[in-house]
Amino acid sequence: MIPTLTTERLTLRAPAMSDFDAYADFRASERASFVGGPNTRMESWQQFCAIAGQWVVRGYGRWIAADRETDEPLGVVGLHHPLEWPEPEIGWSMFAAGEGRGLAYEAALGARDYAYRTLGWTTVVSLIDPQNERSMALGARMGCRADGVFQHPVFGPLHIWRHPSPSELAA
Amino acid sequence: MTVTLSNTPVLTTERLTMRVPEMADFEPFCAFVCSDRVRYIGGGADKDRLHAWRAFAHITGHWPLRGFGTFVLVDKSSGAPVGSAGPWFPECWPEHELGWTIWAPEAEGKSFAHEALIALRRHAYADLGWTTAVSYIDPENARSIALAERLGCRLEQTAPTPFGDGQTLVYRHPSPAEVAA
Repeated sequence: MIPTLTTERLTLRAPAMSDFDAYADFRASERASFVGGPNTRMESWQQFCAIAGQWVVRGYGRWIAADRETDEPLGVVGLHHPLEWPEPEIGWSMFAAGEGRGLAYEAALGARDYAYRTLGWTTVVSLIDPQNERSMALGARMGCRADGVFQHPVFGPLHIWRHPSPSELAA
Repeated sequence: MTVTLSNTPVLTTERLTMRVPEMADFEPFCAFVCSDRVRYIGGGADKDRLHAWRAFAHITGHWPLRGFGTFVLVDKSSGAPVGSAGPWFPECWPEHELGWTIWAPEAEGKSFAHEALIALRRHAYADLGWTTAVSYIDPENARSIALAERLGCRLEQTAPTPFGDGQTLVYRHPSPAEVAA
């Protein structure tokens, strides 16, 4: 049901129960502070289910970014679209084991390619906490430009980073 | 593109069709979650669509992760979803639960939940291979307590509760052998 993508070093695949401990460890850590965390294990479980559940209710969603060789879960990347989001975004969260190797960039490029080529989207954004310097650097590396601010009712202001359109990427 | 839950069961009873959640169930589910009908299971009038969305994604995503989950109860005569019920096992639950909720007030008092649970308990025992099941019930939820008793459940004083809060009542369902007898 959930499609699988491969990039040079990653498999983007459906979440599985065997990923949950790595996901819950991430959500419980300070690494999750820009994405609504840290969270309890039960909160993490609901969010983990929602990764799979959004595929059913939206028709698109996020993947577990897993090491292509070992299948170790390294992060969550893909097309994130909770109810209150102004539009769908490319979201990326790397676990500690997935950091520092350009894997978020690689996975996010795969997700953007999927959005444009497979789903036929003509635009997509990423919502980034203005304190999250690493994610802003990745947004810049992907060619995004500032396009306003979304006031989230719980998380506060999130900056809208708009990705280059399919035609801009082709040019 | 549509992504559906694949290889999921559909159960039928005299008046109900029970199937996995679909996108179209969200609005009636949301109306329920944002009402005071949900005060015993974590909802209520202080809850909003945002909360309902996350709860809906939770019950939907539970299916592919666990391989079983909550069914939406559809009234055969109207085609309307009237509630959700079935096998439920979130991460922090001590053991497998059979849960139930009737969403719409007009669907209450018709024994839909009882009818559903007889079939869902059979499904849990026969198809999923469960050897026991509990239902966790708020002590003030008199209607659900009455249904648990009608289903032959027995109150257990010593069974562990979700989050170890000690506040939730644990009703143990009759075993597969007892149900079959």
